[in-house]
Amino acid sequence: MRPFAHFAPRSLDEALDIFRREGEGGRPLAGGTDLVVQLKEGGHKFPYPRYLVSLRRLPELRALGWHEEQGLRLGAGLTMAEVASNDWVRQRYPALADGAGLVGSRQTMNMATVGGNVCNAAPSADTAPPLLALEAQARIVGPQGERLLPLEEFWLGPGETVLRHGELLTEFLLPPPLPRSASLYRRHTPRQQMDIAVVGVAVAVALDDGGRTLKKVRIALGAVAPTPIRARRAEAALEGQAPSPEAIARAAAIAQEEARPISDVRGSAALRRHLVGVMTERLLREAIERARRG
Amino acid sequence: MARETLERPRFRHVGRPVDRIDATAKVTGQTVYGDDLRLPRLLHVKLVHAPVAHARIRRIGASKALAVPGVEAVLTAADLPPHRTNPDARAQVLLASDEVLFYGQPVAAVLARDPYTAAYARDLVEVEYEELPAVVDPLEAMRDDAPLARTGAIRDADRSEEQGHITVEAQQEQAQSHPSNVSSSITFRRGDVEAGFAEADAVVEGTWRSSMVHQSYIEPHVIIADYDASGELSIWSSTQAPFHVRHEVARTLGLPEARVRVTATEVGGGFGGKIYLYEPLVAALAMAVRRPVKLTMSRREDMLAATPAPQAVVQLKAGMKADGTLVALQARVIYDAGAFPGAPVLPGCLLIGGSYKCPNLDIQGFEVLTNKVSVGALRAPGAPHVAFALESAMDMLAQRLELDPLEVRLKNAVEKGDPLPSGQPYPAIGLKECLEAIARTDIWRERRRIRQHPHRGVGLAVGGWLGGLQPASATVGLNADGTINVTVGAADITGTNTSFAQIAAEELNLPLEMVSVVTGDTRTAPYAGMSAGSKTTYTVGRAVKLAAEDARQQILAIASQRLEVPAEELEMQDGVVRARGQPEKQVTFRELGRLTTGFGARYAPIVGRGAITARRQAPGFTAQVAEVEVDPDTGQVTVLRYAVAQDVGFAINPKSVEGQMQGGAAQGLGIALFEEMVYDEKGRLLNPNLLDYRLPTARDVPPIEAIIVEVPSEEGPYGARIVGEPSIVPGPAAVANAVADAVGARVFEAPLTPERVLRALGKLRD
Ligand SMILES: Cc1cc2nc3c(=O)[nH]c(=O)nc-3n(C[C@H](O)[C@H](O)[C@H](O)COP(=O)(O)OP(=O)(O)OC[C@H]3O[C@@H](n4cnc5c(N)ncnc54)[C@H](O)[C@@H]3O)c2cc1C
Repeated sequence: MRPFAHFAPRSLDEALDIFRREGEGGRPLAGGTDLVVQLKEGGHKFPYPRYLVSLRRLPELRALGWHEEQGLRLGAGLTMAEVASNDWVRQRYPALADGAGLVGSRQTMNMATVGGNVCNAAPSADTAPPLLALEAQARIVGPQGERLLPLEEFWLGPGETVLRHGELLTEFLLPPPLPRSASLYRRHTPRQQMDIAVVGVAVAVALDDGGRTLKKVRIALGAVAPTPIRARRAEAALEGQAPSPEAIARAAAIAQEEARPISDVRGSAALRRHLVGVMTERLLREAIERARRG
Repeated sequence: MARETLERPRFRHVGRPVDRIDATAKVTGQTVYGDDLRLPRLLHVKLVHAPVAHARIRRIGASKALAVPGVEAVLTAADLPPHRTNPDARAQVLLASDEVLFYGQPVAAVLARDPYTAAYARDLVEVEYEELPAVVDPLEAMRDDAPLARTGAIRDADRSEEQGHITVEAQQEQAQSHPSNVSSSITFRRGDVEAGFAEADAVVEGTWRSSMVHQSYIEPHVIIADYDASGELSIWSSTQAPFHVRHEVARTLGLPEARVRVTATEVGGGFGGKIYLYEPLVAALAMAVRRPVKLTMSRREDMLAATPAPQAVVQLKAGMKADGTLVALQARVIYDAGAFPGAPVLPGCLLIGGSYKCPNLDIQGFEVLTNKVSVGALRAPGAPHVAFALESAMDMLAQRLELDPLEVRLKNAVEKGDPLPSGQPYPAIGLKECLEAIARTDIWRERRRIRQHPHRGVGLAVGGWLGGLQPASATVGLNADGTINVTVGAADITGTNTSFAQIAAEELNLPLEMVSVVTGDTRTAPYAGMSAGSKTTYTVGRAVKLAAEDARQQILAIASQRLEVPAEELEMQDGVVRARGQPEKQVTFRELGRLTTGFGARYAPIVGRGAITARRQAPGFTAQVAEVEVDPDTGQVTVLRYAVAQDVGFAINPKSVEGQMQGGAAQGLGIALFEEMVYDEKGRLLNPNLLDYRLPTARDVPPIEAIIVEVPSEEGPYGARIVGEPSIVPGPAAVANAVADAVGARVFEAPLTPERVLRALGKLRD
């Protein structure tokens, strides 16, 4: 680790001011569970920062509110422990609770934030597929003001996002779930815990009023492409269909084709592609079953 | 905890479960480890690790690193004080001087006022390398046209670490005449193996691969060295082998052993990986800069450049008659030593041919050099690799002949008098007793019901370890207040000092609280061998027992004079010596303490002395059984239940014995399912961290039933035999056999990752 300056602002405005004043070479620091490890061991995609700006005291990053029409506001600075234990999240966005509840150990979950997970832009980030499947939008605030972006457009590649210098991800907006819907996230890891997803799959499904056809299907995949991705063709193949085992198997096979995995120390491309099929099929079945039960 | 005991005299302390004396300090975080130590004027060292597996060093540029404020020195091999180097011994190549032999090999040392500055400046040291072709795979390395892993043949291999773990007589052939990556080989033959196969009703064969794994002690290596103005060298190291460190450091640096003091700091896990490695280097640095120097390795550095356990390839062919008699074993056992010799070929060959009675053997072992980090010992070094092959083959044979796998093992299990492949006969051993104990476990008895579940199965495997032999000594002293001090020279890595307290308290018939055991440094403690090879209680325990008996005689002699009663008529209990039948005639230890230590004391101090040499092994065997569930679509293996039966001779402290059995079994499950150091084709380690090098977590290891079996050894204290190592051995084989039982697929490569299981099931297309 090399020397750097550390700022601990108390408001979003103050944080943005620091970035403006100090100029290039700054980096936001949330829980530090990715960033500090990278500064110690290498592996960051940006130049070694000259200064860090802690986000831990910014009230603006801790929003948490539920609205019948607008859905959920979820501050980027909330920790995994806070997200995983929140009742709104658990009841209405269970896939997100699943993802947040898997990150590292208790200690990791008490430090790691959802915003950090998304901004670190690892293809394997465990809250990314759930947020994609739940159609989250990201609010970005920076020197040029504010913008709202579908999360799918947020990542550019491993470790790379659309964020420019001095911009912060402040919160996520998740639309309210449809009636008769369910969502789930699972990952495959060799170990039971303290591991990184070899493959992560999130699905969100909604049945029509009669419960006979699938009104909406969202499938998101982690660790099988340079960024977390939606399996849009697989979704389209199922939407409007009756959830028969054949239709589900077909969608899973399409999702396999949509995956663009690589081989690395955590698993071969063949393994990853295989698992996308197995897991997508299993998750769709389970989610449809849950949506039926209501 | 269950216990299978033959017969047992009544003892007051030994044989009873007690908490480790140091447990409270450890679990409350108060124990002082090497990294906690500070010395005035201390410098911290960070090593520059080569980023290439095989290269010639062209130039090392230190100016940028030296310009960092707080950096005191950047030293290369040329800057070290004169010392003995041996290109064939890893620890005697202090820094690579010309040829880099593995990815991560230290080429320079940066010394700074704090470790952060040293690490920062380390990255500024500029080293120019001329890359040479690297050999990474041991089978490739054995080919005639393979590039050589190093220039120059092996002449003077250092096998002390292996000998510390297993001490047997057998000739290992050094490298051949023509240049080759095979640095040594060994052959054992018995009977006529071809005739054996001809006679067999079933023959199976296969090639089993085990991955390179790391000891993964919680505490990476920590060493401090200080060379003072009077020429005294002091070393604090988290070593399992202080006297060995002293010997090697003194030899390397040309100092008399009398002037080298090695203190074994609390060992935060060793498992064979903390014998000696960087002590000569850190001592040389301290001598060069005339200031104390501390090396604390990070996890990454430790994984790159300590001494993990080897990769192995075992080709095995085995033949059995229809009645279950094993008639022929033919094996080619290949261990990848990494860049320096020191792989456990000998124990591997002895155990693959020495676990079952077999009239016809043909066993060849090879040690192969590659451009990977050189290997060291890990709990029963070499044994899990061969057990994986042998125990898988035993199950395959039993299946082919429709025999019960436990019965087949019982029928062929080695017993007292049976020869090892070297011809040496076994002393009393308890392999059969372990199998009988496993036959009585719930898992084994319920196996037919378990198998009805489509994806569950039960697997059995056995394993053993022969053990190391080194002399040992101990002293037992009586203090002025009547309490007792036991002094030993063995590092306590498994709770041995607690067992020594039990032994001394037993012999002197005292409450345990009156006895204190200390591991002294090499200038004050009586000699002991390394705490490795499972021999510490077996050897040092005997010395403590003798020392306590000696102290007892001295105490009785003085008491006899004081009480005017013959020593034979005295009895000793709870710190009081009294005449049998005359309770008023008594003298306390406290009085004796004063009489032997006070001003103008009448008697000389009481110092019991125990010194032994150990020449006879007391091998330990274990049988283990696993119940697993396999997800046939993801390849995930979950171990649901596990049981370990192990012959420990006599469990002096059943609690720590049980801990050793469970800890070793958990490590066995780790290497069975998760652990693997992955190198790329250029010899670069891809997972030098505990995220991608997966140790089992608490949730990956089921409760482990430990069944203590006690077949007394011939020489050990109270019949104790080796304990620490055997429990790691059968894990990979037991799991592979259980997976085969569950889903019918046999996996030939450990760890049994989801990917390998899916491939064995034929479910992965490329
Ligand atoms: C032991 C351990 C286990 C782990 N296990 C998992 C796991 O199971 N699953 C998983 O997905 N991850 C895991 N991780 C990775 C990490 O914990 C998560 O990615 C975590 O969510 C990162 O959040 P953080 O708040 O710590 O981010 P930080 O490390 O503080 O930041 C991460 C990156 O995002 C940037 N950043 C953070 N917040 C913002 C913001 N609001 N606006 C703009 N940029 C921002 C930072 O500059 C930095 O580049 C693990 C890490 C550790 C150390």
